[in-house]
Amino acid sequence: MEETKENYDLTPRVAPNLDRHLVFPILEFLQERQLYPDEQILKFKIELLNKTNMVDYAMDIHKSLYHTEDAPQDMVERRAEVVARLKSLEEAAAPLVTFLLNPNAVQELRADKQYNLQMLKERYQIGPDQIEALYQYAKFQFECGNYSGAADYLYQYRTLCSNLERSLSALWGKLASEILMQNWDIALEELNRVKEIIDSKSFASPLNQVQNRIWLMHWGLYIFFNHDNGRTQIIDLFIQDKYMNAIQTSAPHLLRYLATAFIVNKRRRPQLKEFIKVIQQEHYSYKDPIVEFLACVFVNYDFDGAQKKMKECEEVIVNDPFLGKRVDDGNFSTVPLKDEFLENARLFIFETYCRIHQRIDMGVLAEKLNLNYEEAERWIVNLIRTSKLDAKIDSESGTVIMEPTQPNVHEQLVNHTKALSGRTYKLVTQLLEHSQGQAAR
Amino acid sequence: MSRFFAQGGSDSEDESDIEEEIQEVQNNDINNRYLQDNSDDDDDTDTKRVIKPTKDKRFEEMTHTVEQMKNAMKINDWVSLQENFDKVNKQLEKVMRITEAVKPPTLYIKTLVMLEDFLNEALANKEAKKKMSPSNSKALNAMRQKLKKNNKLHEEEINKYREAPEVEEENEPEDEDDDDEEDEDEEDDDSKEAVTDEEVDETTDTRWETMLNKKDKQMEKLLSKDPKEITWDWVNQKFKEIMAARGRKGTARFDLVDQLTHLTKIAKTPAQKLEILFSVISAQFDVNPGLSGHMPIKVWKKCVLNMLTILDILVKYTNIVVDDTIEPEENETSKPADYDGTIRVWGNLVAFIERIDTEFFKSLQSIDPHTREYVERLRDEPMFLALAQNIQDYFERMGDFKAAAKVALRRVESIYYKPQEVYEAMRKLAELVEEEEEAEDAEEESGPISSFIVVPEVVPRKPTFPESGRAMMDLLVSLIYRNGDERTKARAMLCDIYHHALMDNFGTARDLLLMSHLQDNIQHMDISTQILFNRTMAQLGLCAFRVGMITESHSCLSELYSGQRVRELLAQGVSQSRYHEKTPEQERMERRRQMPYHMHINLELLEAVHLIGAMLLEVPNMAANSLEARRRVISKNFRRLLEISERQAFNAPPENVRDHVMAATRALTKGDFQTAFEVLNSLEVWRMLKNRDSILEMVKARIKEEALRTYLFTYSSSYESLSLEQLAKMFDVTEAQVHSIVSKMMINEELHASWDQPTRCIVFHEVQHSRLQSLAFQLTEKLSVLAESNERAMEARTGGGGLDLSSRRRDNNQDYAGAASGGGRWQDNNMSSGYGGRQGNNRSGYGGRPGQPRDWSGQNRGGGYASRAGSGNRGGGMQMDGSTRMVSLNRGVRT
Repeated sequence: MEETKENYDLTPRVAPNLDRHLVFPILEFLQERQLYPDEQILKFKIELLNKTNMVDYAMDIHKSLYHTEDAPQDMVERRAEVVARLKSLEEAAAPLVTFLLNPNAVQELRADKQYNLQMLKERYQIGPDQIEALYQYAKFQFECGNYSGAADYLYQYRTLCSNLERSLSALWGKLASEILMQNWDIALEELNRVKEIIDSKSFASPLNQVQNRIWLMHWGLYIFFNHDNGRTQIIDLFIQDKYMNAIQTSAPHLLRYLATAFIVNKRRRPQLKEFIKVIQQEHYSYKDPIVEFLACVFVNYDFDGAQKKMKECEEVIVNDPFLGKRVDDGNFSTVPLKDEFLENARLFIFETYCRIHQRIDMGVLAEKLNLNYEEAERWIVNLIRTSKLDAKIDSESGTVIMEPTQPNVHEQLVNHTKALSGRTYKLVTQLLEHSQGQAAR
Repeated sequence: MSRFFAQGGSDSEDESDIEEEIQEVQNNDINNRYLQDNSDDDDDTDTKRVIKPTKDKRFEEMTHTVEQMKNAMKINDWVSLQENFDKVNKQLEKVMRITEAVKPPTLYIKTLVMLEDFLNEALANKEAKKKMSPSNSKALNAMRQKLKKNNKLHEEEINKYREAPEVEEENEPEDEDDDDEEDEDEEDDDSKEAVTDEEVDETTDTRWETMLNKKDKQMEKLLSKDPKEITWDWVNQKFKEIMAARGRKGTARFDLVDQLTHLTKIAKTPAQKLEILFSVISAQFDVNPGLSGHMPIKVWKKCVLNMLTILDILVKYTNIVVDDTIEPEENETSKPADYDGTIRVWGNLVAFIERIDTEFFKSLQSIDPHTREYVERLRDEPMFLALAQNIQDYFERMGDFKAAAKVALRRVESIYYKPQEVYEAMRKLAELVEEEEEAEDAEEESGPISSFIVVPEVVPRKPTFPESGRAMMDLLVSLIYRNGDERTKARAMLCDIYHHALMDNFGTARDLLLMSHLQDNIQHMDISTQILFNRTMAQLGLCAFRVGMITESHSCLSELYSGQRVRELLAQGVSQSRYHEKTPEQERMERRRQMPYHMHINLELLEAVHLIGAMLLEVPNMAANSLEARRRVISKNFRRLLEISERQAFNAPPENVRDHVMAATRALTKGDFQTAFEVLNSLEVWRMLKNRDSILEMVKARIKEEALRTYLFTYSSSYESLSLEQLAKMFDVTEAQVHSIVSKMMINEELHASWDQPTRCIVFHEVQHSRLQSLAFQLTEKLSVLAESNERAMEARTGGGGLDLSSRRRDNNQDYAGAASGGGRWQDNNMSSGYGGRQGNNRSGYGGRPGQPRDWSGQNRGGGYASRAGSGNRGGGMQMDGSTRMVSLNRGVRT
């Protein structure tokens, strides 16, 4: 897939870090947006499907691509093969599956894994082989596109599995299944679980660990931009040193999503400064309108530039599979994130602008904010009313006048010294405790 | 025997070093006579025993002493035995020194064993002991103690000898029997055996003229031999003879080379030819004694040609394997060319090529760079590159990637410092050189005897170069990253970074440096690598300057300039230190490390870049903080220079780089960017830069910016408001730029002002503190310092932190090159990363396809990603400073 010039499509960079199945939603999106010729996308889909077991689906696509009614021979063969394999796996996993389907039996399981294994072995003749078969069966189900089945089996597999490696794999599988079923809440839980394991587990090489983190971040994109609380979560996850390092080294394109999250999320302002530094450092390796927008506002203070970037950002967001999610509202669909983004970006510009100005002409301001005069006035009045802005409007001259924010010298001095007494007090108590401790000894 | 006696005696007084000639003459007279006698006798063989070098002589002396000891034992004379024992120990020292052997010769060990046995016997025999004269028994006791002490030193060898007394003899060369053995007495036999035991080593010899006639005779014999009579055996025997002569006293090294070269022509099988060629090359290496001098250039060239011939043979006869780990069988080389199965020949191509490279390097070190000779010498480089390339190809074909990586490193090291232009020139030169060489070759080939084994030139004599130096570097370094050992990889990485920096890819170069973690452990590496590291840092600094990243440039260079030892750190000259006298030994070592002139980084340019960077950062900084109690210093070095220049009553017109920058600084402090730039523009060094105009443009822009900032810092208190237009005109910058710069200052709270948008003015706020207020601020500042130090004292008491402070200091005190880098600071920021894991695999199911970058760098990306955090702090230095200053104004609650 070659990249067309304007649309800043990240699919080629994102896709390698995703599971095969996770790429489908992206392709669907691209197809809908018509960024690429249909044919190309269909071909790509078939290519993807060839390695999975979703043969029926592949056949359908093949038919629509070449406008024929016959599926190619190899696909038919493969279908037969897949079905056969499914059968055999099903058989292998059957004892455990029946056990798990029996609610009475399941109740016998306890929190103690060792006990469970022992119990299964003794009473149901279910050994490691069967458990392994369950895993294979679940994996196969996943490959076939039966995500809910896979998710259930994997959940149960995890309670029985003793192999750490396998259990991680099962977790990834569960995560993918939940994402594909769009159960964002559960998926988020799974994500955190995987993260925990990645962070705590010891890897063969640090590279492996980084790679795992990058996978996790990519997979997380689905969740973060769909879950209600995702935008805070994404910042919390990505800004962590370990993850930020991974982004910087191997996947700078993720900065786009982080930047977007920062812009639309007001709650994580304190970390923004840190992020700006990262942007400055990475500007040579990755360029993106959204990132550049931040750079314009916070590094170069180039507000006209920011203005231009904002327009480009709009384009980017609409065409991004993660950001440009549409909500159908009656006849026409909107991209909720886009509006949110623009609103917040505007606020960003204005905020910074105000910080360095004493007096601003309303007309200029309106222009800068992409609003007309009345709208701008209303907007500012709103800001002042919600006391987000310490300013007054001078209607006569048509200007906004900022209130000076210079702290008083006395105040500063008081602030300086305020903490000192507390610190000293703490020190003294510490000292006393220490000496008492020693005396007691 | 008396002859030898004289010799033994005369020796004890001579403290002869190898160079000492005078007293050797008398010894050698005897020696010669003695030898001549012998050689006249052996008419049956066509060799002459060549004269004995110093080493042989020493052995003879030793043998005589041993003989005397034997005699003393027979008559049970412990007094003389003791004397002789002391003597033999003294002689041993000399022998060891000459042969540079680690192990004492067998003869000596044998004697020790004999003595020990005899001593035990004597002690056991109580009756005999009683009968001894008092002096004799005293000597016996003394001897017992001495021997006990002495034998402890050689315990291992003695045991070995006792186990297998004959082992050593087995390795005797073939020429033993046809040599002049019959009229040599026993001890000579011993000495000879000892000689051949030792790896024949380089010795100096000064007396080869006298033997010339004999050499000629020998040569003649070689030449006059009827080609039809030459057999493998004959050649082999000849070869052995010549080899035995190698390193002995009186063997002319040039003759040795000639003889061997001739032998290569008459060698019967390719393997034999190969074997002899190896010896030729070793002999050529020996031509130059000592470590300081370099190999004559002519010999070097021949050496390279020989190496190429070796490769020709190896490529043509693929069944021949070169190896230095196995001891080949005696007649391995007699196997004909069409022998199926591998023929093993002893040799180490990597060692040879490294030696050749080192010799090339040394010759460049010692030739005066301003002469024609130097340029001529540089022209030989393509020749070496061709050879290295061929050898590398050969290793790759043989699957020996480790060796290939080593050779590749040599190639990398000879191109990494070349910018694209020089690289192009070298490419062109390589084509030209080739033609000349072919003509020369043709001449040489028309010698008297054409060789039996004619090897066609299979291996290309011309190095092939990819279009760009970068492509070549990429090719080579990726091979090294895959296969090299640690040191090779580290060096290749440094060269890679250097080359990236040379090509102005600052980002890539910096990332490589940070990810490779080289800064952390560079001080544990060898000095030559440390020098390379320093060079890389210097080049990185220059690169950052060229792309306009002044802060980065300064942080790369500042540590290099923190001491007054730039020359030393870059190995581009020796700097005299006033306080610390160097020993001659140190000086010699240092001289050996020097970079050849063509690899130098221009020091003037480096200094200019460093000082200009420091100026651009320091001048506004000084202006901003002029009133503050606690000054923040960015560049100590710069401050010091500025102080010196300010102390002068009159300022002369600038002469050197430093003067220029100081003059520019004076102008800049006043906000006079025009003069500042003009002064810098007049610097000579700019012509060293490739895209000089654009860089000067950048410098000018930066000067304007900093002048504007300085102006605002200095004079803001005098203004109520300033119009944007006026500022833009004053500093010849666009209004947008002024706006951006001033806005940045406002946000960072460096400037207490705000824009008045309708009138396009900067309005300054009244923040100037009164005297009382600023004193109050100072007081609070001091109070908080006090509180902090109290806390720290408390922590130290109760065993909190505090320790990391001292360890930090230790870090900053690293000696020598390790200190010359931004490393010291950067590495402090590194967090420990990568939990060294035991288990853990790739995720098996749910196939994700990791998109992995290039192998080694990829690996290091993994390993080194944590260091990015460090770079984060570094890159954002300016911002952080702004914020800390902000904090100092209204430092709120500290938790």
